[in-house]
Amino acid sequence: MSKIVVEKSEIIKIKKLGRDYSVISIAPFSKLKTILPGQFVHVRIPDSNIYFRRAFSIYDVNPKNQSFDLIFKVFGRGTRLLAAMREGETIDILGPLGNSFRLPNHTSTIILAGGGIGMPPVYFLARRLIDKGFEKKRILFFYGGNSKDDLVDTARIRKLGIRIIPSTVDGSVGFKGLITSAIEKELPKIAGQKVIYACGPEGMLKAIDALAIKENIPGQVSLEAPMPCGIGVCLGCIRPKREGGYTRVCREGPVYDIGEVIL
Amino acid sequence: MKPDLSVNIAGVHFNNPIMTASGTCGYGEELADVFDLNKLGAIVTKSITVKPREGHPPPRTAETDSGMLNAIGLANVGVDKFIEEKLTFLEKFDTRVIVNVAGAKLSEYIEICARLNDIPRCDMVELNFSCPNVDSGMELASDAKLAENAVREVKRVFSKPVIAKLSPNVTRIADIAKGCEGGGADALSVINTLVGMAVDIDSWKPRLTNNSGGLSGPAIKPVAIACVHKVYRAVSIPIIGIGGISNWKDVIEFILVGASAVQIGTGLFVEPDLPVKVLKDIQKYLSQRKLSSINDLKGQVRLH
Repeated sequence: MSKIVVEKSEIIKIKKLGRDYSVISIAPFSKLKTILPGQFVHVRIPDSNIYFRRAFSIYDVNPKNQSFDLIFKVFGRGTRLLAAMREGETIDILGPLGNSFRLPNHTSTIILAGGGIGMPPVYFLARRLIDKGFEKKRILFFYGGNSKDDLVDTARIRKLGIRIIPSTVDGSVGFKGLITSAIEKELPKIAGQKVIYACGPEGMLKAIDALAIKENIPGQVSLEAPMPCGIGVCLGCIRPKREGGYTRVCREGPVYDIGEVIL
Repeated sequence: MKPDLSVNIAGVHFNNPIMTASGTCGYGEELADVFDLNKLGAIVTKSITVKPREGHPPPRTAETDSGMLNAIGLANVGVDKFIEEKLTFLEKFDTRVIVNVAGAKLSEYIEICARLNDIPRCDMVELNFSCPNVDSGMELASDAKLAENAVREVKRVFSKPVIAKLSPNVTRIADIAKGCEGGGADALSVINTLVGMAVDIDSWKPRLTNNSGGLSGPAIKPVAIACVHKVYRAVSIPIIGIGGISNWKDVIEFILVGASAVQIGTGLFVEPDLPVKVLKDIQKYLSQRKLSSINDLKGQVRLH
């Protein structure tokens, strides 16, 4: 059996989240059960001359109706075409791809940080942690963006029953400032072992990587990179490793230990 | 009866005419997660050099209209590790293995081919004379005499069939093809990527760190079809057609202009299971046309 499949699935639901974001539910997908938090799928842009697929982190898996969810932000022509798709239409999926988050030990306080479009895999991880019996009061979910429009689908996150600490650069919602500042402010209040998981824009991950190294907090970051193939054969999405050499974000990543990759 | 998809190139039997192109399938390990490699006619490995190479710094790829530019810079594990680890992985598959060989000078091609000569899992070598992304590659690719000599020297140390991979970035590709044939090449792969460049109009910087790179994908298919046809009319050795194949019809087109087999490259990035998909449809096409073998199509283009 193939670990990775190329399948034509159906959009069973598509919903706008504010002005720029959409959440999309896709089913069926034969590898649904194997999907892990941190993994992504590579999506073909329909009816266009856009050649490469586009990579999206898995946001959620719903075993009940055999579907999984993605969130995307309209950014360029490809995502605009995706946003224009309708329920019932066919969507070409390659996946599941990449590695996944490594779950921490049960005694740590878990700091989750999702910045903008980096929120989905962090949410998925939070759900998995709760399913695996991690104490809800030991999970903190930092969700940051430029303004309140960037904090989407918060009702779903709230349902997890964990503490959410929103932050916006313009102060329109929650803590005013960068997500990293919000985390820094909260850190001294957290006793005992800590572990951090983050996904978001490059600058945010760079800051979190540096903060985690300084505070000696273990953890992982999930990176983004333009990916032609998504399966590790084109060698296009490489990043330099701190120990030297390159790593393929699509194959060895997208999730890396704090300090592993030069950000 | 099912039409016969097997082909014979330089005395080597291939279960079907579909190969993966060098530099688009690594050493097979990743694609094995997607489909059964036994279904391939052959796997053509990433270019192997004497020493390991990390390749160029990113960005190494850039999306273009109906294609892509790449300047990977021959990133590979080097011949030692390749033989020890990568070829052993391929031992369990019933497909042909063609090892693509690259070098900065002729002596390096000879060194690698001499090592591969004793390795049973290597069925053939394909000489990458035309990687546009390293300084040294283009001389061999664009001078018929140098190409002829290079093939001849490799043939002295490598007793299995030798394929020369030709560059389209030359004035007369048929002349280079004839040179390679004269040097004893057993087959030709036509074509490698076209030199291309793209510039970001915000930063005014080229979109590849290497500034320029090789263009591949559907954008280059008509160029490749024309090159295969030119070469087919110039030489009598078999041709493996490459360039922008993204569906089964493209395969038929290449065979009609004279290719004995084809390689799928950049198409794998979009549809990693494309080789398996095209095989089914080719079989259907041959049945509908009541053709008993894929070979019946070879060179059958009806010119105006």
